[in-house]
Amino acid sequence: MKFTLNIWRQKGSDERGRFVTYEAHDVSSGMSFLEMLDGVNQRLIVKGEEPVAFEQDCREGICGSCSLVINGIPHGPDRGITTCQLYMRRFPDGAVITIEPWRARAFPIIKDLVVDRRALDRIMQAGGYVSVPTGGAVDGNVLLISKDQAETAMDAASCIGCGACVAACKNASAMLFVAAKVSHLALLPQGKPERTSRVKAMLEAMDREGFGSCGNQNECEAVCPKRISVCFIATLNREYLRAGVVEPGLPAEPESPHAESV
Amino acid sequence: MMKLDPKIPPGPLETKWDRRRFSEKLVSPTNKRRITVIVVGTGLAGASAASTLGQLGYQVECFCFQDSPRRAHSIAAQGGINAAKNYQDDGDSVGRLFYDTIKGGDFRSREANVYRLAQVSTQIIDQCVALGIPFAREYGGQLANRSFGGVQVSRTFYCRGQTGQQLLLGAYSALCWQIERGQVTMRPRTEMLDLVMIDGLARGIVARDLVTGRVSIHTAHAVVLATGGYSNVYYLSTNASGSNVTATYRAWKQGAAFANPCFTQIHPTAIPPGDAHQAKLTLMSESLRNDGRLWVPTMPADHRCPGDIPAGERDYFLERRYPRFGNLAPRDLASRAVKAVCDEGRGVGPGGQGVYLDFADVIGQQGLDVVRERYGNLFDMYQRITGEDAYHAPMRIYPAPHYTMGGLWVDYNLMSTIPGLFVIGEANFADHGANRLGASSLMQGLADGYFILPYTIGHYLATAKLTPVGEDHQESRAALQRVTSRVSRLLNAKGCRTAASFHREVGQLLWNHCGMSRNQEGLKSALTSIPALREEFWRDIMVPGSGEAFNQELEYAGRVADYLEFAELLCHDALHREESCGAHFREEYQTDDGEPQRDDSRFAHVAAWEYREGTSPVLHKESLAFEFVQPTTRSYQ
Amino acid sequence: MARPSNHFQSSVGSKVVMALSGLGLVIYVIFHMLGNLQVFEGAHALNGYAAFLRDMPILLWTARIGLLNLAALHIILAIRLTLRNHRARPVAYTVREYRQASFASRTMAASGLVLLLFLIFHLLHLTAGVIDPSSVDRLDTEGHRDVYGKVVHAFQNPFIVALYLAGQLGLGLHLNHAVTSSLQTLGLEHAAFNRLFKAAGPAIALVVVLGNVAIILAIFLGIVRG
Repeated sequence: MKFTLNIWRQKGSDERGRFVTYEAHDVSSGMSFLEMLDGVNQRLIVKGEEPVAFEQDCREGICGSCSLVINGIPHGPDRGITTCQLYMRRFPDGAVITIEPWRARAFPIIKDLVVDRRALDRIMQAGGYVSVPTGGAVDGNVLLISKDQAETAMDAASCIGCGACVAACKNASAMLFVAAKVSHLALLPQGKPERTSRVKAMLEAMDREGFGSCGNQNECEAVCPKRISVCFIATLNREYLRAGVVEPGLPAEPESPHAESV
Repeated sequence: MMKLDPKIPPGPLETKWDRRRFSEKLVSPTNKRRITVIVVGTGLAGASAASTLGQLGYQVECFCFQDSPRRAHSIAAQGGINAAKNYQDDGDSVGRLFYDTIKGGDFRSREANVYRLAQVSTQIIDQCVALGIPFAREYGGQLANRSFGGVQVSRTFYCRGQTGQQLLLGAYSALCWQIERGQVTMRPRTEMLDLVMIDGLARGIVARDLVTGRVSIHTAHAVVLATGGYSNVYYLSTNASGSNVTATYRAWKQGAAFANPCFTQIHPTAIPPGDAHQAKLTLMSESLRNDGRLWVPTMPADHRCPGDIPAGERDYFLERRYPRFGNLAPRDLASRAVKAVCDEGRGVGPGGQGVYLDFADVIGQQGLDVVRERYGNLFDMYQRITGEDAYHAPMRIYPAPHYTMGGLWVDYNLMSTIPGLFVIGEANFADHGANRLGASSLMQGLADGYFILPYTIGHYLATAKLTPVGEDHQESRAALQRVTSRVSRLLNAKGCRTAASFHREVGQLLWNHCGMSRNQEGLKSALTSIPALREEFWRDIMVPGSGEAFNQELEYAGRVADYLEFAELLCHDALHREESCGAHFREEYQTDDGEPQRDDSRFAHVAAWEYREGTSPVLHKESLAFEFVQPTTRSYQ
Repeated sequence: MARPSNHFQSSVGSKVVMALSGLGLVIYVIFHMLGNLQVFEGAHALNGYAAFLRDMPILLWTARIGLLNLAALHIILAIRLTLRNHRARPVAYTVREYRQASFASRTMAASGLVLLLFLIFHLLHLTAGVIDPSSVDRLDTEGHRDVYGKVVHAFQNPFIVALYLAGQLGLGLHLNHAVTSSLQTLGLEHAAFNRLFKAAGPAIALVVVLGNVAIILAIFLGIVRG
């Protein structure tokens, strides 16, 4: 098979980017999309040209590294998968394929198709955890959790943090990402004590990072490789409203470490 | 001269760990604040260690080459995590988990370490539940368990097929908390390229910022490596493409002993390689072997469709060789049996690399719907990758490198032969012996990171004399110089071959001569071909772009350069170990019917290799004493 | 001490305020449509209804000021969020394909703007009578102000009808997404009711638009006469 690729090339975050056209030859239908790009890169390297930078790691759809917008859809034409799980048999021979990076102010481009997604980490650092020190945890069976509740929490927790929701959202909002974590922890008894401060802190961080607001257009759900439901966004909204009623006003103060020894 | 002192506490097995914890010196809270610890790697071991150290009050500087700590390859572990909770009341206990692990490792691991692992396994589950990990539950709300990897008790905790992901995200969330508190400084997209040794102690690392290309020195009071395994030395493996040996290999070159590198686990059920461009093998859950039957045609080079081959001309080779266990024979035996039939020319699919995994019988007996419910997602995955429908034609599978039991040698305190250099998780060699049981890697990573290292490192930090060191120390500068000159050497070769082509070649070489089965002749030939290939690499490598920018090809070429050296060490170890044990199968040492022959009289030891510049590595032995269990022959026939 | 207003300045907080104000306006629009349907019952009914409303000036003006405030709040927050959303993606995709986001949901800002322009025109036209002063303040046979005559006169003009139909298009598009979206923003989500919530937007939009368009077309086509 043979393909024509329009690939976004950009040397660095401050440089101007542009599309460059490449031909991908000798592609077999059993090749993955990333292996097809590997092939293009190998030819570029041998010619002494810089290969197209793109991100990938596990190549089995779980690490969340890959981040390509293929013909206008994050992770390409198939639902419920990441780019690395996309195979070339999905495209007709001779197709023209446009490849762009995730585009959002909160995800500055590092090079070509590689973007900086640390904003998502910072949202997690704002409150995406249960503040429980190592050791001293009670036995795992002390708090019973119904099977349904555990399964729903697992649905939310399966987020791989790839950022496709942001890439697909017309407003570049990270609501589905935040919703997944807030819902996961709010559904479990272990996450309950901090649910008020968590939802406020994470949403504040989301706003601070320059993501847009949610338009309830549900495009995020449609591209999510783990098919995380927008129902969790409703849960997030509910948690936020609840936080406003339970404890309105001040954001959570970060605690100062070693208060005890000072 | 290197001395291997495992520092195992004396006394009964059950109280060794308690007594070690009691005898350890502690660091006062005020002093902890002034102590910096570097943690390299953010998988289960690294993230749990970094977060726990931060919570204890140390200043932690944590590195990963990925764009986020959450992407470490622990995320891809599927099956589950073992713990001796005995929630099912089916006879499990710490002692039984200990024994299963020792036996599964074919009696090539340390009793004291394995017992401690089994002891802390129960704490791991409690900790993970407290972190909000959504483990599978029973209808009554209690934690669910399943049986895994052919053991007789149900002790595996799981989150669907994404246990590794959930455990890692739990550890990552704990890490996030410590980053928010200012206890951990996270440096993503920063790759460790060398170790800084000052006065014989590990005092820091040299790391390259992968975005700007800046190479810099980071000093600390101790260094923890949690950099995973080296299966990618085989080029095609189930590991993430970024997983590499560089950090541990660089530490080896600075004087840390490398133990049992030849113990590499090959997983039997991966999707076979399709064509030459393939960059990754995808693992299919081992659970498929519960219902699928493995077979190949009786006649070599039989190219008929599987459906056209009558029952009489099929060889159900696992059922034939291991009538008692049949298709559920342990990983190492199953992998070797697959290779054996493919070597006879009876393999199926492209290149004859593959055997059928057939569900026709179970579909016939229990119906399509039962199979769809049980394995639907795996069949879908298979179809997506191969384009074939496994409900109607048998799957094809082939073994793939998956996990490495070998790693840097560590003592009972998880410290390497370099004082101040601690190694945890898959990167060390300690707990799995010659073969790892399913659902044990997650257990070991978290045991090391949450519960063992945070204690043992304190003792070192409390007792070692650590003078302040800086970036301008001559040893620091020398390490920096080593890294920068290597980077420029890679960039200036300007040859005409890509790093991937060398990687593929060395991988193929190892797979052929030091893969599932090894022999003296093959290993010796590999030991002569590898240096030649390495020479060609440095002459003919092409790395475009510059070192002062984001350059993925440069990162990759550096890793391949290390594989080309490390491959030799792997072969040396495999050559030295003249026995067949666990994942290491030497063709010369087998019974008449092809079963492995272990040699406890000559090889009941850990082979720890010391680096010597310009000559072959030097072997040191740590003999393994079995005080509490009696080594027996693993027989599955 | 706590200040709840902070809570509503975040993006989600603003959305909640928009949802509440929007729902308030939707309720008004429904009653507006229902009231106006009295045009089918003749001049007596409609003019009597108008007189009934005018007889309670305090209520009327409270409602009017309340509605204006709601609309103003809704619009200000909409502008703020839209600007923020534009900033969130400075470089647009060259190729863009939507899989699930409906046309209505993607054009809320545009349909909202159409709606605003239409609203201004509508107020100037029929409430203030600035556009067409000829029909203002005439009285019917019972001495009520002749709202019926004014409306019937207005919708005989094809240009006015075209403008109003365009306005209804904007209204329909906006409501189609708005109601369901507001429920989601308020966190209303339950497995038993999700289908109802999903259907609420299109259903309300359809009913309101059909009702309004019926009035306009009935007059224009001469089914309802002066």
